Amino acid sequence: MELGKIERLLDRYDEGETSIAEEKLLREYFLSEDVPEHLRSYQLMFRFSASQAEEKLENKPKVVSKRNWYSWTSIAAILIVALGIFFYNDSSRMLNDNGLGTISDEELALQKTKETLHMVAQIMNEGKSDLVYLKEFNNTKNKIIQID
Amino acid sequence: MKEHTFLEIINPVKDKMYRMALRLLTSKEAAEDATQEVILKLWNRKEKIKSYANVEAFAMTVTKNYCLDQLKLKQNSNLRIVHQNYESKHISLQTEIEVNDEMQWLGRIVASLPEQQKMIFQLRDIEQYDYEEIAKIMDMKQTAIRVNLSRARKAIREKLIKKHNYGIR
Repeated sequence: MELGKIERLLDRYDEGETSIAEEKLLREYFLSEDVPEHLRSYQLMFRFSASQAEEKLENKPKVVSKRNWYSWTSIAAILIVALGIFFYNDSSRMLNDNGLGTISDEELALQKTKETLHMVAQIMNEGKSDLVYLKEFNNTKNKIIQID
Repeated sequence: MKEHTFLEIINPVKDKMYRMALRLLTSKEAAEDATQEVILKLWNRKEKIKSYANVEAFAMTVTKNYCLDQLKLKQNSNLRIVHQNYESKHISLQTEIEVNDEMQWLGRIVASLPEQQKMIFQLRDIEQYDYEEIAKIMDMKQTAIRVNLSRARKAIREKLIKKHNYGIR
């Protein structure tokens, strides 16, 4: 396009009188061709406008990130289950190998069980005997609060 | 209105809304927040949205008003950071690059314009709306818009030339 026409358009551009179509002509001219020195400032302006129009809203909708989060948790869950099965097998085998001193004689087993239960009962009784004092609470309370 | 139809209306406009917010609020994070807020507002009144003749212009108006409100809020509650041109004889590489970067300079020049001119420049030269639509968005007369646009264009170029000559002469 000849320079004279461009300059006439630019004058009207400065006054805000150009139409969208005319501005498009100017934009194409300034974005594609080498321009004379005295029009450099216009070229910068059109380049700036063009570069600014490329700015985009970048943030993705939240749904996407949530899905992402789900995939990570599923990976984590699979890992946990896999490792769990692995270690579970391992440790059960170890328990079997050790042998926990299981008693095979029935008589002896009964005897031992009785002893153990007896001991537990004894300790329970000892503990319970200490709780007799708790009765005092009720006695005192009844003096103050009378519930009929 | 279903989500799908709403998205079809919003998707072509949302980048324009974001750029408008970015022009006014400067910070990317603030602009993203503003865009999201405005879209949420539009979603909340989605039943009414069809009754507006020009949804895009309406969306842009809401964005503009929301950003201006945000600016007012900030001015009330915060200290204003006034840009000072501190002269430094020791120019760091960073600033040297920045000074050379003409696009950044233009960004700063545009940022220094009055809000109205900034918005009209954004709508016309960057988003390429026609005057009728800008009049609708800005709620102004077309003649007033032309005057403001002309002022903005001239001011930008004047500052640009001043800056350029400063380096040379």
